[in-house]
Amino acid sequence: MRAVVRRCRPVRFLSLAAFVSLAVGLAGCATPPPADDPDAVADFRQTNDPLEPTNRVFYKVNDTLDTYALKPVAKAYRFVLPERVRTGIHNVLDNLGGPVRLTNDTLEGKPRRAGDTAMRFLINSTAGVGGIFDVAKSAGFPNHDTDFALTLANWNVPEGPFLFLPVLGPSSPRDLTGFVADTAIDPFTWIARGQRVFTITSWTKTIVGALDERAGLLDVVDNIKKTALDPYATFRSLYRQNRAGKLETLRADNRATIPIWWPQAVSAQAASGGGK
Amino acid sequence: MKLMLDRRHCLIAGLFVAGTGLPLARAFAQAAEKASAFVQQTGDKLVGIVNGAQSAPDKRRALTQILEVAVDVDGIARFCLGRFWRVATPDQQKRYLAAFHEVLVTNISSKLGEYKGVKLTVQHARPQDDEAIVTTIVDRPNNPPTNVDWVIEQPTAAPRIIDVIAEGTSLRLTQRQDYASYLTRNNNNIDALIAAMKQQTAQSG
Repeated sequence: MRAVVRRCRPVRFLSLAAFVSLAVGLAGCATPPPADDPDAVADFRQTNDPLEPTNRVFYKVNDTLDTYALKPVAKAYRFVLPERVRTGIHNVLDNLGGPVRLTNDTLEGKPRRAGDTAMRFLINSTAGVGGIFDVAKSAGFPNHDTDFALTLANWNVPEGPFLFLPVLGPSSPRDLTGFVADTAIDPFTWIARGQRVFTITSWTKTIVGALDERAGLLDVVDNIKKTALDPYATFRSLYRQNRAGKLETLRADNRATIPIWWPQAVSAQAASGGGK
Repeated sequence: MKLMLDRRHCLIAGLFVAGTGLPLARAFAQAAEKASAFVQQTGDKLVGIVNGAQSAPDKRRALTQILEVAVDVDGIARFCLGRFWRVATPDQQKRYLAAFHEVLVTNISSKLGEYKGVKLTVQHARPQDDEAIVTTIVDRPNNPPTNVDWVIEQPTAAPRIIDVIAEGTSLRLTQRQDYASYLTRNNNNIDALIAAMKQQTAQSG
């Protein structure tokens, strides 16, 4: 659900901000539990969702949009296109994210990850026919996820309270900042900006990206909604754990950049002991 | 003289570390090994049920048997109720535990169909405090491979699963936060939670 709007134009973003502040004003903030119940207070702090009533309003809005618009189209997308084609589309979208990932790998101070990303982008854009085939993976350059919000997290910028945003879905001040920064970093935001061809392709990319992501989550989301007593709280918990897990993987990835002809014993040991 | 003393200190310290460290390291390795074997064994049984040809009720029965032996369901249930466990009456605790067992079996058996053709590969294990964490890769047709960590209590004596962590998300923690939120929004009424759990199993069972 996060990928629905990959790019925010300033105007769109301002109207979104106005809408959000209006909604906060209408729905209000969460009431903290009484101070004489320390366990309840501790739970409230840990949940760190002071805007919960507002967040729940947006959760409902998004859920309705999803049920009647995104999910049916994502189902059709999965039904109409064979798996191979969908994988190809997914790979192309993934490959287009290369430059942003490379910037973030570098800012995170992860040379090996940056190397993986650079090699993946070069190999898959050429030998992989514009990114359709992930040939870099079998050549020894595995893919990984990262974004500017994770870069901020790696710099010890705190996450902040939970946010559930219209269209974008679960987030936090740190993740929202990261999303805006990633859009700004992305060269595809700026190349040929203002030309009609560009507008069409970038919207296509946004829409197909949303379908690709949603189609991949069809069963997962259905299962959560079926088994959770409070789906909002469950999505909140899963989202945060997922982000924390990505940060942990990022921090644990301290593979060295050692040329193939250099003795590898030390690095191999460090990788098997330090990595997950 | 000073140098010698330092050397001797180092030697003593070294012996001390070796003396306590070696058995500890051995115990750690043993815990990891036993936990791995346990997960492999339990995983094989589960995969056998998933890919087996029995009827759905038979599968559910077989699954219940495995869960009761291999999973500390009561422990997980207590964890999931969090701070509300202590305020629950003994009767509520009993009814909650019974409902929790049902929810767990129902949730898993309703997903068995999606896991047809599943394969589980144990990667490695590492001890953590009194527990061991076994990392596996779960492969299912038409899905990318998933990293699943199994948290095992008392790995050497009486190993049992106390948590499953799929791609970094802990099932018991997610469940605990789901229940906590439900209770907060229902005046901390544990009976309401039990009723909701029962309704859930009735709907999907």
